[in-house]
Amino acid sequence: MIKDVLQATVIEGEDKLDTTVNRVYASDLMSDVLAFGRPYSILFTGLATQQAVISAHMAEFKGVCFVRGKIPKDGAKEFAKENDLVLLSTEMDMYDACVRIESARRGEDASLKAGPAAAKTEKMLLGHELLIEGSDFANAGMASTKLKAILKKIGFDPKLVRRVAISTYEGEMNVVMHAQRAKVKLAVTPGLIEVVIDDEGKGIPDVDLAMQKGYTTATEEMRAMGFGSGMGLPNIKKNSDELDITSEVGKGTTLRMKFYT
Amino acid sequence: MTTQDLIEKIGLKALSKFEHRDVDGVFVSDMLSDVMAGAKSSNLWLTIQTHKSIVPAANLVDVSAVIITSGKEVPQDTVDLASKYNIAILSSDLATFELVGRLYGLGLGSK
Repeated sequence: MIKDVLQATVIEGEDKLDTTVNRVYASDLMSDVLAFGRPYSILFTGLATQQAVISAHMAEFKGVCFVRGKIPKDGAKEFAKENDLVLLSTEMDMYDACVRIESARRGEDASLKAGPAAAKTEKMLLGHELLIEGSDFANAGMASTKLKAILKKIGFDPKLVRRVAISTYEGEMNVVMHAQRAKVKLAVTPGLIEVVIDDEGKGIPDVDLAMQKGYTTATEEMRAMGFGSGMGLPNIKKNSDELDITSEVGKGTTLRMKFYT
Repeated sequence: MTTQDLIEKIGLKALSKFEHRDVDGVFVSDMLSDVMAGAKSSNLWLTIQTHKSIVPAANLVDVSAVIITSGKEVPQDTVDLASKYNIAILSSDLATFELVGRLYGLGLGSK
């Protein structure tokens, strides 16, 4: 989004343009970046040196955009590549770049307004969305695998990552077995990882019954592949700190799993 | 004990590409949820399940290797996916019961 709004060129990280940042920090003083910059930001700066990129990396930023068409000549690009940072360059000056981003952000937020989601969006450190297709047994487990990689990369405790991954996997299996499709939403906020699996499917008539160990509605064919031992929801319950299931027969099921960090 | 030691001592066939690692304990099951619930990090996972979905399961619970028993043939897409994620897929002609006995004999209690 930032690249398009600023009509920027990509110096490094073409493959990482979908990285989510939740803040812009504009400064030419690197000690300010280190003192006040927050993780998951992007740095706007006129300082076209490797030092700017190193400072951004130290402050756990996700990228740097150089203003006034500057392009660093030293090892900035290589450093960014090694440390998974995106480097952009825009012809706009600092003021213009900030104004454009702010108005684009407001425009986007307008669509989110007036829901309980609005408050959440503000403090979200990371948001990510994945899709799961029902009956796609060949790719079953791939959404959880991606989610695990994301959380691992952020640097959460491996035991916590494992709990989130296992819970998401079980939820994903349920979608593959019983629903048409689902969205998996990952939200990382201070102190909390939340995974919501929202499916379009047949729903669960009796959630309490579905929660019982060993209860399954899987077919013989699914069980032959190792799915459907009736342990999915109990496993999620065991591995998550909070689990909330809402379901409507004929419409779908929403699984909300929370993990304290 | 490492995956390399096991391959040499029991005569397992390595099907996927992976890096050798330490093995700690054994878990036997053909149901994925059971593995998710019970297997521990670095466990060996013995199964006759060869479907591609064993790879994400093995990756998520972080087992040291999956051993397909009874000489069951493993589909190429399972092996390819495992190689991509650095998951060891090993194969043994022994039946699960026999293999468990051998592993126990090598001192690998289930932890």
